[in-house]
Amino acid sequence: MAVSNVSSVSLSLSDRLVAGLVALLLGGFLVFGAGLANSSVLHDTAHDTRHSYGFPCH
Amino acid sequence: MIVKYLLAALVAGLFSGVVMTAAQEARVIPLILHAEEFEGEEGDPAATGTEAPQTTHEHSSLRSAPSLADITAYFSPISVAHAHEGEHEDGGIMFGMSRFSGTLLANLVTGTGFALLLAGVSLLTGNAITVANGALWGAAGWLAVHLLPAIGLPPELPGFPAADLGARQAWWIVTVVLSGAGLYLLILKSGIAAKVAGIGLIAAPQVYGAPQPSDLSSNVPAVLGAEFAVAALATTLFFWIVLGLSLGFANEKIAKAAR
Repeated sequence: MAVSNVSSVSLSLSDRLVAGLVALLLGGFLVFGAGLANSSVLHDTAHDTRHSYGFPCH
Repeated sequence: MIVKYLLAALVAGLFSGVVMTAAQEARVIPLILHAEEFEGEEGDPAATGTEAPQTTHEHSSLRSAPSLADITAYFSPISVAHAHEGEHEDGGIMFGMSRFSGTLLANLVTGTGFALLLAGVSLLTGNAITVANGALWGAAGWLAVHLLPAIGLPPELPGFPAADLGARQAWWIVTVVLSGAGLYLLILKSGIAAKVAGIGLIAAPQVYGAPQPSDLSSNVPAVLGAEFAVAALATTLFFWIVLGLSLGFANEKIAKAAR
């Protein structure tokens, strides 16, 4: 935490990159599962959400 | 410390997902239910023009005041599964939840996912999301994920004609990624070369073109489709601004606590 960035994000550079990559991977996984995954159960559960968010559906 | 930033995204995403569910129920879901009354009518010319038979779920608050039983059924975790009878034999809503619960769950997952993606971009590029710039971060997310892809693939109602699903999903993902990268170059990078490259990245998928259906005929009235496209884009813009602001708020709480 000793290294300070230009931004107010109070993480060292390597911590910041690790946190960013973890967030991107996790977020991508969640959005894919809810919005795009080709499973009937996931599709039917998230059906109205997929349409509302404009995910390609059906 | 890393975990705290992920937790901030989690909190902001869950909160935005709940708020989005309320906005959807008010503006978008009634249109989806209305369109489903026309879905699957093809080959039956006698049915068009007349009032479609009532579908099994009438969750719309626009139709009539719900009775107490309706309200309890709405929130009940156990309810009749719905969704496109005969279209997916092995489908059905997870854990036998009601349609509303499924939508709420999906909104929580989607909200958290988008919050993590936004936080990830912020962390990787070293530009902090605060309350002051949160709405702009949200607006940029909406541009990349909703408005720019909607130029090629507008939000569709059930029963709308559409090209092959895999092709549309691939174009959608590529467009979101390129638009996000383009917006980053355009907004956060200085220098004329970065701006030009950003515009090029944003324009590339649009110039290439989204997969379009060969047959445009549909039983769903065009007015419903227009109303739906506007409602979907408006509610998602609302969602992204709430998300950006709440993520900025959560980030500032964490920064203050770390001091």
